Amino acid sequence: MLNVKGLLEDIKASPYEEIVIAAPHTGVVEFAGIRPGDKVQGRSGTWKEKPGTVLAHLTREKNRKPLCAPEKGEVVEVHVELEGRFVEAGEPLAVIRHFLTRKEVIELILKKALSLFPAPEKAKYYFVPEIDQKLKVSGKRSVKLRDGMEVFIVSRMKRETVLPYTGPGGIIYSVYFHRGDNVDAGQPLIGVCPEDQLSLIQDVVTKVQSEWEEVE
Amino acid sequence: MPANKHKVLIANRGEIATRIIRACCGLGLDFVSLATAGDLASGHVSLARELGGEKALYRIESYHDANEILSVADAAGATAVHPGYGFFAEDYRFARRTAARDRPLTFIGPSWWAIRDLGDKISTKRIARSLGVPTVPGSDRPVYDELEAEELARALFAFQDEQGVESGCVLVKASAGGGGMGIEEVWNMDRFRSVFRRVRNYAKRHFNDEGVLIEQRILDFNHLEVQIVSERGGRNHVHFGTRNCSIQSLGRQKRIEVAPGFVPGEIGYYFDAAGVLEAITRNSLAMAAEVGYDSVGTWEWIVTPKGEPFLMEVNTRIQVENGVSAAIARLRGEPGVDLVSEHIRLALGEPLGYSQQDLSFEGVGVEYRIVAEDPRERFAPWAGRIERFQWAERPWLTVHSHVPRDAAYDIPMDFDPNLALAIVWGENLAQAKERGKSFLNELVLEGAAAGGGEMRSNIGFLLEKNQNILEF
Repeated sequence: MLNVKGLLEDIKASPYEEIVIAAPHTGVVEFAGIRPGDKVQGRSGTWKEKPGTVLAHLTREKNRKPLCAPEKGEVVEVHVELEGRFVEAGEPLAVIRHFLTRKEVIELILKKALSLFPAPEKAKYYFVPEIDQKLKVSGKRSVKLRDGMEVFIVSRMKRETVLPYTGPGGIIYSVYFHRGDNVDAGQPLIGVCPEDQLSLIQDVVTKVQSEWEEVE
Repeated sequence: MPANKHKVLIANRGEIATRIIRACCGLGLDFVSLATAGDLASGHVSLARELGGEKALYRIESYHDANEILSVADAAGATAVHPGYGFFAEDYRFARRTAARDRPLTFIGPSWWAIRDLGDKISTKRIARSLGVPTVPGSDRPVYDELEAEELARALFAFQDEQGVESGCVLVKASAGGGGMGIEEVWNMDRFRSVFRRVRNYAKRHFNDEGVLIEQRILDFNHLEVQIVSERGGRNHVHFGTRNCSIQSLGRQKRIEVAPGFVPGEIGYYFDAAGVLEAITRNSLAMAAEVGYDSVGTWEWIVTPKGEPFLMEVNTRIQVENGVSAAIARLRGEPGVDLVSEHIRLALGEPLGYSQQDLSFEGVGVEYRIVAEDPRERFAPWAGRIERFQWAERPWLTVHSHVPRDAAYDIPMDFDPNLALAIVWGENLAQAKERGKSFLNELVLEGAAAGGGEMRSNIGFLLEKNQNILEF
């Protein structure tokens, strides 16, 4: 039986993560006046369509692009020495301390409760077109899996192979990878909830919702 | 070099980036190189730092991002951009953009319109047909519609049936693909629809274009190439001979390339091999002159067992296998031709400085592509760490590699697992094969997969195929 209370206590002991805001690509940096201690907002809206607080702008090829806070939190560091300079991709620009949301805590705990299907090798993963379509149209929990079902396309070194799902039958409850990302071997791709355990998983969700207090 | 000294941005990675760096240094040009976070262990990174200092290398997010490349060009003060092969090498929009921007850059390659007209397989076919150059039967424009594709495939099967082909085969290819990627064979109509859909999805994912070509598969053919070189302005076309690239992996990836394309002096062919080489060279040169081709490029042909040549496509870039042609080329009787340097020099506006009469060819060159892949598992790419990669230096051997020889190297996941190109020269085919065999037998290649699995490579496959090079 999953010790939800114990897991929650562990997370409460360190309830935040530090997010390094790095230059996603090359360009000239122009900070948006942020300072350590400033509160910032992350993406919001039903589809996360509203961008977070602008932290900086990055300009290249006459394109001035805003660099926004991905999550809500507090600015703890700003590399002001880079103001007006051309930076390379991956250059750290700022650090945000983000306090975990209820939803993130639920995902963390569900990783312990769901049946995880890990990436067998480092590669890019995609859902096969039929499943991809279903996920887009009807959402994650609309896809029912069974052992041996062809679910993923593995793209490695420009070659593609089909990867069948192996594990208990159930519905896709969580997806842990993004299209085009390189996933390391052993990292979970999806979390599957066997149908007979749906109520147990719902209990976990309810418990976390009632016990986790979000930092404003 | 010209009085206005250029600085070349190398928009590529791995082995070709190392060759371009060395060519720039040989020509007295400054350069700047690029690397992504996952590619920092590549030999081109250390070579760039060694020969150009810390400022000769910029970290970028992706080799596929034109904005990234051009912004680095501005920041580094580059005046020319070398796309290498793959990535932007055959992207006419990129070539046009480099020339048309406020701060123009010289694109090291053909003019953008030449890439547009010849870089597309369909457009090439149309130009070739208008000049009476034979091309492979099949669609002459990208097909998007499933029913239209099926109709074309049925017609090709029927045509092969009429020709007396026992079991016909149709190729389904991503129109925007290249280098053997996105190509599948169909042996009967029952499977056609599922293959068409798969290739169309692949094309969409990798090339952002669903266009598919339907072509007749010519079985048991030889894959030949003609190396063309000309100067800016589309003048003074010369050829650097022919190559035979018929030894390929199952995924139609070249693994051994040989120059010249046939050796009628050493091997007996059932057709006039010398005549075929002469015909494809003449036709390639004529087509290059007709369209005003103005750089280094390759005309690719397939030759049937009856000795009939069909033009397949034109590669408007420097090829991986350019070194094997250079190995047998003699300029005014002297060896040491470097087509990578010629490509840069001519693109920057220098005159050719020689004619076809100054070029001759001597001996046989064989290029072996050393790749981390498993021939027993349908050439599946192998990922892991290379612990030792060593070979004995020989006067007849040139090895181009980005794999460090003094440190372990983790093969990146985003690219083909090519490890090295080894070019062997011999006075004749027999000697070249013997030298190739001894090189491959002595080569030390050791590594391990992340899970402790054994290192896989194609060395055994190369040794096996080495025995029958150029036999047809």
